[in-house]
Amino acid sequence: MTQTDFFTLLPAILLTLWACALLLVDVFTPGAHKGRTAFLAALGLAFTLGVTFLQPGEYTGFNGMVVRDGFANFLISLFLLTGLLGVAVAYGYLRRMGIERGEYYSLMLFSIVGMMLMAQATDLLVIFIALELLSIPLYVLAAFAYPNTASEEAGLKYFLLGAFSTGFVVYGIALTFGATGATSIAAIVAATAAGVANKALLLSGAALILVGLGFKTALVPFHMWTPDVYQGAPTSVTAFMAAGAKAAGFAALIRVFSSAFPALAADLTPILWALAALTMILGNLVAIAQSDIKRMLAYSSIAQAGYILMAFVAFGSDLARPVAISAALFYLVAYTVSSFGAWGVVISLEKEQGKDLQIADYAGLGKKFPWLAAAMTLFMLSFTGLPPTIGLIGKLYLFRAALQGGLYWLAIIGVVTSLISAFYYLRVVLTMYMKDGQPDVARETWLTATIVFSALATVIISLFPAPLFDWASRALLMVMK
Amino acid sequence: MTAEQIIFYIATGFILVSALMVVTTRNLIHAALWLVATLFGVAVVYATLDASFLAVVQVVVYIGAIAIMFIFAVMLTKRNLLDHVPQTNSNWPWAAGIAALTGAGLLYTASQLSTFGAQRPALSGDALMNLGKALVSPDAFVLPFEVASILLLAALIGAVYLAKK
Repeated sequence: MTQTDFFTLLPAILLTLWACALLLVDVFTPGAHKGRTAFLAALGLAFTLGVTFLQPGEYTGFNGMVVRDGFANFLISLFLLTGLLGVAVAYGYLRRMGIERGEYYSLMLFSIVGMMLMAQATDLLVIFIALELLSIPLYVLAAFAYPNTASEEAGLKYFLLGAFSTGFVVYGIALTFGATGATSIAAIVAATAAGVANKALLLSGAALILVGLGFKTALVPFHMWTPDVYQGAPTSVTAFMAAGAKAAGFAALIRVFSSAFPALAADLTPILWALAALTMILGNLVAIAQSDIKRMLAYSSIAQAGYILMAFVAFGSDLARPVAISAALFYLVAYTVSSFGAWGVVISLEKEQGKDLQIADYAGLGKKFPWLAAAMTLFMLSFTGLPPTIGLIGKLYLFRAALQGGLYWLAIIGVVTSLISAFYYLRVVLTMYMKDGQPDVARETWLTATIVFSALATVIISLFPAPLFDWASRALLMVMK
Repeated sequence: MTAEQIIFYIATGFILVSALMVVTTRNLIHAALWLVATLFGVAVVYATLDASFLAVVQVVVYIGAIAIMFIFAVMLTKRNLLDHVPQTNSNWPWAAGIAALTGAGLLYTASQLSTFGAQRPALSGDALMNLGKALVSPDAFVLPFEVASILLLAALIGAVYLAKK
């Protein structure tokens, strides 16, 4: 291993070592002080984030298997932020639910390492293993409240469908290998350019990889697991995976499709078009019918994935692609902060596992806890794409990217479905302010801090989006040679 | 016919006969033992193709672990090891026809390939050594190999957590 190899993977190496150390520390931590593990996990994430910032730059490691470019650095920072917020919402929640265990944080760190590698991988083999490293801890976390049957069911369902979907990815990688004789993106590009690749095989391979990553990012029609898993898993886990796993899935999707398969764009764009349209329409329509807030947010997260995909549909055009990637990155940040905020509010109302999760339970929140209701209103506005929130700015960038790619009809579908989504998002707001009820919330420092942070980020970035957007625009993919 | 061809025909014939026995024998233990024989035949084919590592893995993993697990499972779950229900239903001629057609189609497709009937290129160097070196070389697959070990660690922690309760 050379020095460049080391620097390429520095964040992942640090976090892996930290996760292993955390396991050892946890053994010697008495049961009453398990909160220490959470603080140490947060410390590790913050430390890694600091190192990532102090040590940016472009590296290629392990003979071109992984890179650390602007794109990877941006996403690594996002994953570490996701981890920090994930620890903050879990800290009090796990104690309240009686499932406070040190393994939670170690598994979470391992999952984040998988996410980072997903963003850094430039070899399909590494993408596959990173996908597994991301998923397997999440299966366990989804079942973390075992023997609670809902959590158990969520874990099993996620595991079975997840294993099935990684099967698709492996099959796709095998076909791609069959077509080009390589798994590295650079070699796939070379084989495609030289015309030696078998196009039918390569196209089938790309389509199967798309199916597998579609499962992870919950695109329709691969979304079936999402509502059940989001509902059954402990809410802190749901918050973490809704943001992290989706962003990681998109990271791999964007990297693989825009680096390895731009030559197939003519064939793949109609497929992506249909997926994006279906995801936006179905996600938003089905969300209307939900009365459980966790299920509603699950369908909402499906719909949000549709908007991100919408920008990326025209990935074959050299003009539209950079715009689409920066818009997608910006929106992933917008989605992460708003979604953590909304899930934070859900967590603070959930007194017991699976209790007080109906939208009707939010009645009266506006009178009794005006600040919490105001925060929830902000997050709902952000999901809808209304001012003064980051969601609006993010959606504008996404629509701009779609128009740049000439996807007028898709953009129209996006606008119409956004209008439809206002119905169920604003219904939550109406319930909070217009109906009477006696909701009760848990007051926990770190949970409150998360909600405050998310609310501030949602507003402040919407007022000053330029620095973040500049960063996202500079987060380019390294050209694979 | 070269010696290699003779071994190939013997091995494939053995695989086909024992595979047929797996599905036709009425004694479940016998079926499991025939399965061991089938897997062993596949290991022989691997060995003749210079894939010595795969041959060893085939014996150790499939025969040594999986088939034995089958036998354990059969012994632990079923008291009566004889199966008395009919082995086929009324649709078997159709299934046989489709299977034969598929087989013929595959055979035809294979015969159309440009490499059909070509001589196998000789491997350079020791395949096992090359594989071993590739797995730990920084220029080859050490990264996926190491990430896989982290993955196994995470899976182990998860399994212990779920099983301990």
